[in-house]
Amino acid sequence: MEPKLRVVLVDDHTLFRSGTKAELGGALEIVGEAGTVEDAITVVAAASPDVVLLDVHLPGGHGGGGAEVARVFTEADSPVKFLALSVSDAANDVVSVIRAGARGYVTKTITAAELIEAIGRVAEGDAVFSPRLAGFVLDAFGAAAGNVAMADDELDSLTAREQEVMRLIARGYTYREVATELFISIKTVETHVSAVLRKLQLSNRAELTRWAARRNLL
Amino acid sequence: MAWFDWCMTVSQRPPGGVELRRPRAGRKIAGVAAGLSEHLGVNLMLTRWALVVAGLAGPGLVLYVWLWLTVPSADAATSAPPPALARLAPMLQDKEKREPLLQIAAGLVLLALAGLVAATALGAYVPWQWLVPTIALLGGLVLAWSQLERVDAGSKRGPVSWLRLIGAVALVLLGSVLLIGQGSSPSSLVVALAAGLVVLGGVALVAAPWWLRLINALGDQRAATARESERADIAAHLHDSVLQTLALIRTQADDPSNVRRLARAQERELRQWLYQDRAPSGQSLATALKDMAAEAEDVTGAEIGTVVVGDSPPTEPSMALIAATREALLNAIRHGSPPVSLYAEIAPGRAEVFVKDRGPGFDLGQVPSDRLGVRESIIGRIRRQGGTAEVVSRGGQGTEIRLTMPLPVIVTQT
Repeated sequence: MEPKLRVVLVDDHTLFRSGTKAELGGALEIVGEAGTVEDAITVVAAASPDVVLLDVHLPGGHGGGGAEVARVFTEADSPVKFLALSVSDAANDVVSVIRAGARGYVTKTITAAELIEAIGRVAEGDAVFSPRLAGFVLDAFGAAAGNVAMADDELDSLTAREQEVMRLIARGYTYREVATELFISIKTVETHVSAVLRKLQLSNRAELTRWAARRNLL
Repeated sequence: MAWFDWCMTVSQRPPGGVELRRPRAGRKIAGVAAGLSEHLGVNLMLTRWALVVAGLAGPGLVLYVWLWLTVPSADAATSAPPPALARLAPMLQDKEKREPLLQIAAGLVLLALAGLVAATALGAYVPWQWLVPTIALLGGLVLAWSQLERVDAGSKRGPVSWLRLIGAVALVLLGSVLLIGQGSSPSSLVVALAAGLVVLGGVALVAAPWWLRLINALGDQRAATARESERADIAAHLHDSVLQTLALIRTQADDPSNVRRLARAQERELRQWLYQDRAPSGQSLATALKDMAAEAEDVTGAEIGTVVVGDSPPTEPSMALIAATREALLNAIRHGSPPVSLYAEIAPGRAEVFVKDRGPGFDLGQVPSDRLGVRESIIGRIRRQGGTAEVVSRGGQGTEIRLTMPLPVIVTQT
């Protein structure tokens, strides 16, 4: 049997932490918990888990919340991977934590099974997009207005294929369903999603920089 | 005609003309020529050279400076907002019309001056030695006071604003010195001016600490008031909504479905209040769709993952689209199994809606034709407005209803 993934929970609500722990405890190994930015940095550095489940809104630090924690480890080239977890719908929260280096974003209404799958995916280095994050991406890259990238390495717009994948995810398709619908392999879907994540982190599109700037994290 | 077309760019202008503004982009000095060219519809090169020639002759320079001072600096046609912001439909706001009172008054004064100059030339006696200093004094005062409104608006002072203030002070000084020093020798004027400046400086030095403290206190007080009113606002809101809902939840604790519905509705409402970057639903198709999905959640107690991309102002076809989407959602909740997803993409001229569930799926051909549900209320509605509707059902993977609706392209006024 494969060793269980080691996970650190970062959330300022004790109630939520204990609930998540109870739900995930069987499938994953919870190696640490933290409730503030400072605690999170210490605990993650000490435990060096596979994945950190990171709340976007966290007290402490310089007010940057979860994005601040992720940024510390991203800048240090740490192998620890972050999955953002939030109740917030606000674009600037989502975008700032993704741009700080998180590999995915899910909302707290996610079911335990889906969350475990998402954590596994992030641990393998893939990206996890909720339907809502896919919607943000389509909005931010102007997909509805017909903005299509001509080359794969163009950072400021999505390729036609990436848009198709994002649209299907926004429509509530699982990765497997996306693969079936587009006649491609799940691995290819994951590649497209990772490419979009990279663009989301590196693009200079005005909407993204503005959303990120709201949290003074540029 | 080609030459005329080169000179006059009128045909390329939007109907209704272009307001006289000094555009920020493409200006050489102050944007006067660029603004004039756009406003009058005359070729830019031609305008520039005309101004240069007129300026060399003398009066053109005055005209240039006059326009520089009086024409506001702004881009005539503001560029379209980025897509993320463009999802907000154009607001139905009254266009602010400001009567150019100041300009009219300045024009009248200048006309009166011109009349006086003419009168002098004709031999009439005009007391210029009194008039000129008075005008300088009054002009300085008007210039200084006109800066007050900027201070109230809390905007930062740009270099132009400072220049205006310094110019105003210089004008007032010059006016007072000329007015009082009538007939005295230039050297005594200079001495008087120096004495006056020294006295002013002394007073400023003495008063500075008090003034600074006053400003600080004012700022603190403003911040405190703002904090207080914000706190009161939050408290009032929490009391009206969250506390009420919590009380309701406590009284209905033995009815899980009701509790879930209450919690869900409250969450949505709080979310809306916290992140209220949304357009009112009468002006935005996206907001109308979200509101409709929220209402469907309330009615059924099910959860709907709603994602809306883009936006447009609501029109008749979009109303039909909303009604059909509502039916599709209710259908998915009734016959399918969760999670139910709603994805809408609103592009210029077209809206697409996808409603997906994870139920066993059904075959449209097996639905009895007397059942109005899908056939009439969804497909019929959409087709009558020129759209297309499609039901895709795969065994075990749920059902997806795909609706496409052409929307009239609404030219947004910029």
